[in-house]
Amino acid sequence: MGKAFDITLVGEFLPQLVQYLGVTLQILAVSTVFGIVIGIAAAIPRLFRIPILSQLVVVYVSFIRGTPILIQLFLIFYGVPALFLLFDIDLTRMDPLYFVMITYSLSNGAVFSEIFRGAIQAIDYGQTEAAYSVGMSDSQTFFRIIIPQAIGIAFPNMANCIISSLKDTSLAFTIGVMDMVGRGETLIASTAHALEVYISLSIIYYIVVLVLEKLFRLFEKRVNRYKPDVVSSA
Amino acid sequence: MIYLQGIKKSFRNQEVLKGINLTIEKGKVVTILGPSGSGKSTLLRCINFLEKPDEGVVQIGDVRVVAEKANKKDIMALRKQSAMVFQHYNLFAHKTVLENVMEGLIVAKKMKKAEARQRSEQVLERVGLSDKLNYFPSQLSGGQQQRVGIARALALNPEVILFDEPTSALDPELVGEVLAVIKDIAKEGITMLIVTHEMQFAREVSDQVLFMDGGVIVEKGSPMEIFTNPREERTRKFLKRISGGLPVHWIQKTAY
Repeated sequence: MGKAFDITLVGEFLPQLVQYLGVTLQILAVSTVFGIVIGIAAAIPRLFRIPILSQLVVVYVSFIRGTPILIQLFLIFYGVPALFLLFDIDLTRMDPLYFVMITYSLSNGAVFSEIFRGAIQAIDYGQTEAAYSVGMSDSQTFFRIIIPQAIGIAFPNMANCIISSLKDTSLAFTIGVMDMVGRGETLIASTAHALEVYISLSIIYYIVVLVLEKLFRLFEKRVNRYKPDVVSSA
Repeated sequence: MIYLQGIKKSFRNQEVLKGINLTIEKGKVVTILGPSGSGKSTLLRCINFLEKPDEGVVQIGDVRVVAEKANKKDIMALRKQSAMVFQHYNLFAHKTVLENVMEGLIVAKKMKKAEARQRSEQVLERVGLSDKLNYFPSQLSGGQQQRVGIARALALNPEVILFDEPTSALDPELVGEVLAVIKDIAKEGITMLIVTHEMQFAREVSDQVLFMDGGVIVEKGSPMEIFTNPREERTRKFLKRISGGLPVHWIQKTAY
């Protein structure tokens, strides 16, 4: 058990922990960007009903959804080096940060692909027909009519997803990444003030989430400005 | 000019169009009447290949497409000859009124932006929406939205405008403003093909009326002929039904 609770330690821990916020945001940024790329790539086979590929995507999405992120993290952390060892490439000395980024990219990609697919399918087909009727091609219709509206529909879901992914990065320390939680663990080991560390961490995460929410809301207003107020301001 | 030959279309073994032959001269206004499920909307959609006919030839102006051999390029060329006004308006929801009209001009017709804007403003004035240029479709009434739909079609200056039940989704009090706009355009000499349930309107605006039932054109003639003296029993029955149970002579009396 730890020592007696001392609230002043929170003030002391906060600045030490915040220094590692960069690592957390780095994981978040990389996994969001690659998640979007993977998400688009994975949505396409299902939207256009490409055989084999679309079945593979279904399995991929279902697996990611059906397993805890912590398990996925370990699977990548142990699995990828084992796979590369077959080709005589040694990855055991690679920075664990990369494995975290891979895991979260794959995980986000699966969720994003479903969000994108739903958003694109939500655009009334009548608008596609209208675009065809004025002489637009498939790709012109897709990029000028469907995608701009799909982004607006996908965005609130993506924002939620990014926020929960930010919180999930707190698991990265389990494979030895020195992020905020990783640093927190070392603080606990050296001071034995666990509660103060976790209070500090919760404060930082909460503030970051509040900031992200604010940013997302501003962006959402912008992309959905064509919608009636009752819907967009909700 | 529209020329259709042997247009056939089936949905899951259900033959919706059973070989339609039709020629419409340039500048004519033709309305298609018929009970629901008679294939009139499908026929209209086959003309710009929103539905691909199983068989047959579609020609608009100089572009001739044989359904069995149609590739994407042919279909694009054919679509550029026509424009369509939809039952549910189908406006681009993320674009303003002005952008809705400009979109086809800029993207499909490769018109310069300034020129497209000028043309679009002109056409929107024509349909009485000069004061709504920067509104989004969601901010307009149904009647206003449909007038944007008409402006979008008109701006393209197509060989033919296809109207697919343009007033069926409107509140009754908004039907009038849309029909007035269509009538106004009809005077201009643009070829128009209109699927409608508005009998009074059909009678006033058409040069020719087609009556469709069961995937074939049952009867065609001048509005006078169709409304006052239909030759076919099916046409008579339909007109009687649509007049809301009133005796047929009511339609005859108001016909001219």
